[in-house]
Amino acid sequence: MQIHHTDVLCIGAGLAGERVAVEAAMAGLNTIMLSLVPPRRSHSSAAQGGMQAALGNAIMGDGDSPDVHFADTVKGSDWGCDQEVARIFADTAPIVMREVAHWGVPWNRVVPGKHTYYKGGKPFEAEEKAEKAGLIHARAFGGTAKWRTCYTADGTGRSVLNTLDTKCLQYGVTVHDRMQAEALIHDGETCLGCIARCLRTGELVAYLATSTLIATGGYGRIYKATTNAVICDGGGQIIALDTGLVPMGNMEAVQFHPTGTVPTDILVTEGCRGDGGTLLDVNLYRFMPDYEPDKSELASRDVVSRRMTEHMRKGLGVKSPYGDHLWLDIRHLGEKHITTKLREVYDICTNFLGVNPIHQLIPVRPTHHYSMGGVRTNRDGAAYGLKGLFSAGESACWDMHGFNRLGGNSLAETVVAGRYIGKRMVEYTKGATPSFGMQYVDDAHKKVQERITDIVTGRKGKENAFKIRDEMHDIMMECVGIFRNGKDLQKAVNKLEELYDRSQKICLSSTCKGMNPELSTALRIRGMVKLAQCTAYGALMRTESRGAHTREDFPERNDKDWLNRTLAYWKEGASMPTLEYEEASPYYELPPGDRGYGGGVTIPNELPPEKFVIPEAAKENLKKAKL
Amino acid sequence: MNASTITLHVPQRSKIAGRMDFFQMASGVLLILFLWAHMLLVSSVILSPSLMNGIAWFFEATYMAQIGGPAIFVLMVVHFILAARKMPFKQDEWKTFRVHARMLQHKDTTMWLVQVISAILILVLGAVHMFVVLTDLPITAAKSAARIQSGWLYLYLVLLPMAELHVGVGFYRIGVKYGFVGRSKRKWFQKTENVMMIGFITIGLLTLVRFMLLNIQG
Amino acid sequence: MNRMLTLNIFRYNPLDPDSTPRMQTFTVQEYDSMTLFIALTQIRDEKDPTLKVDFCCRAGICGSCAMVINGRPGLACHTQTKDLPAEITLHPLPFFQLLGDLSVDTGSWFRKTGLQIEAWCHSDDKAFDPTAEEMRMDNDLANEIFELDRCIECGCCMAACGTARMRTDFLGAVSIMRVARFYLDPRDKRSEDDYYEVIGNDQGVFGCMGLLACEDVCPKGIPLQDQLGIMRRMMAMHSVKGVLPRPLIETIKKKGCCHAHAQS
Ligand SMILES: Cc1cc2nc3c(=O)[nH]c(=O)nc-3n(C[C@H](O)[C@H](O)[C@H](O)COP(=O)(O)OP(=O)(O)OC[C@H]3O[C@@H](n4cnc5c(N)ncnc54)[C@H](O)[C@@H]3O)c2cc1C
Ligand code: HEM
Ligand code: SF4
Ligand code: SF4
Ligand code: FES
Repeated sequence: MQIHHTDVLCIGAGLAGERVAVEAAMAGLNTIMLSLVPPRRSHSSAAQGGMQAALGNAIMGDGDSPDVHFADTVKGSDWGCDQEVARIFADTAPIVMREVAHWGVPWNRVVPGKHTYYKGGKPFEAEEKAEKAGLIHARAFGGTAKWRTCYTADGTGRSVLNTLDTKCLQYGVTVHDRMQAEALIHDGETCLGCIARCLRTGELVAYLATSTLIATGGYGRIYKATTNAVICDGGGQIIALDTGLVPMGNMEAVQFHPTGTVPTDILVTEGCRGDGGTLLDVNLYRFMPDYEPDKSELASRDVVSRRMTEHMRKGLGVKSPYGDHLWLDIRHLGEKHITTKLREVYDICTNFLGVNPIHQLIPVRPTHHYSMGGVRTNRDGAAYGLKGLFSAGESACWDMHGFNRLGGNSLAETVVAGRYIGKRMVEYTKGATPSFGMQYVDDAHKKVQERITDIVTGRKGKENAFKIRDEMHDIMMECVGIFRNGKDLQKAVNKLEELYDRSQKICLSSTCKGMNPELSTALRIRGMVKLAQCTAYGALMRTESRGAHTREDFPERNDKDWLNRTLAYWKEGASMPTLEYEEASPYYELPPGDRGYGGGVTIPNELPPEKFVIPEAAKENLKKAKL
Repeated sequence: MNASTITLHVPQRSKIAGRMDFFQMASGVLLILFLWAHMLLVSSVILSPSLMNGIAWFFEATYMAQIGGPAIFVLMVVHFILAARKMPFKQDEWKTFRVHARMLQHKDTTMWLVQVISAILILVLGAVHMFVVLTDLPITAAKSAARIQSGWLYLYLVLLPMAELHVGVGFYRIGVKYGFVGRSKRKWFQKTENVMMIGFITIGLLTLVRFMLLNIQG
Repeated sequence: MNRMLTLNIFRYNPLDPDSTPRMQTFTVQEYDSMTLFIALTQIRDEKDPTLKVDFCCRAGICGSCAMVINGRPGLACHTQTKDLPAEITLHPLPFFQLLGDLSVDTGSWFRKTGLQIEAWCHSDDKAFDPTAEEMRMDNDLANEIFELDRCIECGCCMAACGTARMRTDFLGAVSIMRVARFYLDPRDKRSEDDYYEVIGNDQGVFGCMGLLACEDVCPKGIPLQDQLGIMRRMMAMHSVKGVLPRPLIETIKKKGCCHAHAQS
């Protein structure tokens, strides 16, 4: 087996992985980055909207500051986030946006003078200030008091990822693409690197590293309908969970979007409904006014998604070979509006669905979009349970999102966390004196090799990987979706337990020399079922509604009992995760209160007064972070 | 001269590639202009043989034919040397390109093959043509007609469309390669070029017909 | 609608000494809104899980799924079956190294080439001041740069380029366009001479034969023709400085398409 040595190993080459890699390489550390796909194909490239940072240059962001951004983020999280982290994030985000601008991101800039903007589909005029000409501009995104989302036309993820990748090239980061991490190497205390499988040759390779980063993005593929890429299978979370030592944080916090298109689940923006689009059922009947007489289609994301699901459960969805869906109707907005103001939607419909939204209905259904949970880390990005292991980006639960992330905050998180955690990793790496016991490498290698042999020979059983995957998809969509209740969740937990057992007995249905793509799927399924179970079980146990986690049987937010974060461990040999809980935040700069939207009742918590004081150490650390 | 000029281990900064490309383009442009002028000269026979004789006399009296003729030949050779750098002389290059053109079914790609093939034909036939004409000065309508009627027709029937195709495609290509013609004008330019090509070939054919019908004895 | 589709797919596993290149035929029932992504995923899930084909975003934005579709390079996820005849032939992209079936290694080529053309902003990174305002930029210029940053490195342009197929060291339209992106960017401090060194040769701008297949297949509609033209003209004019009179050079430089918002 080939063995690579390096100072820093980044598993994942999306925005988070690349930002950390740049930091490490600029500090002169040897850095290797692994990825399933060439770095620029990482799913960060798909994010079109933008990144939030309180620069306050745009007229609609006038008066914005990190304080306002911080407050929006904490409210958005429904007080589930770690406020120290949210603070670091809000305060350093503007610096990071300027830094990537320095590196080459072509942010859209302020053009002084009068402009027509849109809010809720209605046009209005505003005048950009002359003294701000040429500074980074911002657009609107949901859940924010100010316009603060920095963007590059309709390709923010693309352009920032390109820029970071150019810096990786420049600073000599070694990229091993088509390399899939399969297991962490560790001695029970310290992480020593990982075993990876080469997707060109099928061979196993070992990477030994002083510090290892998991930045593998989301795990949306545990759901059938998700906006996440095909490769977002949670590979990074799985290898961390597999150690039995590293917990996942808040896996039940999952965000859905009401208008994913059918069949390929590409998002169409909420602007469609904002501008007057309506939702129709199989009888072309507009059903939303029946459920929500006041707001109809304009109710919040959660509510619309829920009503859609409810309506389809009544059998009023449109049947299709790809499953049930509903119709989005924007025909009445007219050709001009659709091809200018909703051009993106028009392009997606014509290019991917073969539907012309000027004359035809758009098939949509609620779709998984973002996972707040992931590898639980401390403030500095260090994973719980293993030294030398870090995580950043969507794969991590650094926890600035709590139970609901704001649009534009996750893309920003990748680079902001990447910079901050990158610096901490550099410090750690420079101070560490690792010893790489070869027996640990052999152990990890043997485990992976044995699993492969199990699957290839079918000596443990004859289960089909695709079938298990499909069953997992079905149960997750049906029972662990937007609106949850004890009965369904219990059903899901039981089913997933059964699937977990079966996933140990997978056998390939094909043979193929070298790299077999079926083996890639087969190797992943067991871990995906584990992640699904952490999600379902966490949701079952959390008997309250908070942010995106909505329990029909427990509609109130319960700060008395649930102002905390779920930590899911999967102990060696166990068939179910073990749940532990920790306080949501070390202190509450912004005391728990009402979000100001979404409604709902809160059961309050009496927190001791010292919980509202910002410790000196945190202030010091924040100062350092801004350098 | 510096330490690396002999071993070339360290690449040298040099402007030669740009210059060669520029002069390939410039030689092409000059040849295009020549061909158009040439076409006007010869086709004047359609109007009247004496007009053609007059123009030819003018060229000789000013020694433009005696000097210009060989100069054009040299230009053609220079152009050949510059442009041939791009030609697929190696068998595998040739094969790759042909396979590629067949797969893609893409007009501009196929037209490049046309340019390569026409180039070779022009090199041979054009050289023969020039040699014959320039060694038998002065140029008169009668002498040309005699040549054409005595069997040279077939050479011209090949050379004419080949030269026009080559020049036409070359003209288009200079426009797009050097960005004189941008994306927004490409379709228009293609159409214009086609019209010009057909026009010139028609005039050329008419000229040949006229030569065939010209009474040499008279 | 609802035809039976016949997909003829190129199969070859270079890692298997017993494998020989062949075409394999699959039939798939067509549905509304079907793309080649759906059809190929179905084949892989239900008929032959060994089929190697790369998908990632399935939204035409990552560039993974480029392949030759009935003779033309294009993105499989961006291609609807209703726009194709009932018989569809799929080949891997030429030019790039074949990994198996429809999967080729575009990533390594783009990385190698990126290094070769030094595709990064040559600015002083150490000089970044976290407390200072960002450098101001004209919004039109930002948009013009972004227009070139939209490239998804799918490789369609390289696979369609006859020059690249004959001369495998040709950098291709995508690299020249990439250099143009930095050339435009005031943050990149390279001089014309530096750019000339990178692409002023027969592997670069002067290698291009103007076939424009790149322009015609690019799924993102990147303005390759214009960038090739601008860069070639710039570089050629740079090379004849001192040979031709300056006014002539300046005139030629301004003829035709130009970078509209470039500064200086
Ligand atoms: C359609 C869409 C639109 C979005 N729009 C926005 C938006 O406008 N604003 C916003 O703030 N957020 C948005 N988001 C969310 C945001 O894009 C993501 O959260 C963010 O890009 C994640 O970045 P990342 O670096 O953590 O992971 P990714 O970019 O997903 O990168 C993951 C990396 O890990 C690698 N990897 C995965 N598994 C393994 C393994 N086992 N071994 C080795 N490597 C592995 C992958 O190859 C990849 O390189 C959007 C998300 C989607 C799906
Ligand atoms: C002597 C034989 C000739 C040969 C071998 C030859 C070869 C070629 C080749 C291979 C090209 C394509 C180059 C490229 O794509 O970069 C070309 C281009 C061209 N040729 Fe010729 N050619 C010849 C004669 C002529 C003549 C006689 C004319 C005009 C009267 C002419 C006009 C052109 C033009 C205008 C171009 C385009 C120039 C360019 O692309 O830079 N050629 N030639
Ligand atoms: S230029 Fe176009 S065809 Fe070429 S790699 Fe980029 S997106 Fe693909
Ligand atoms: S114009 Fe033609 S030769 Fe030039 S890069 Fe494009 S396809 Fe290749
Ligand atoms: S899968 Fe991303 S472009 Fe087709």
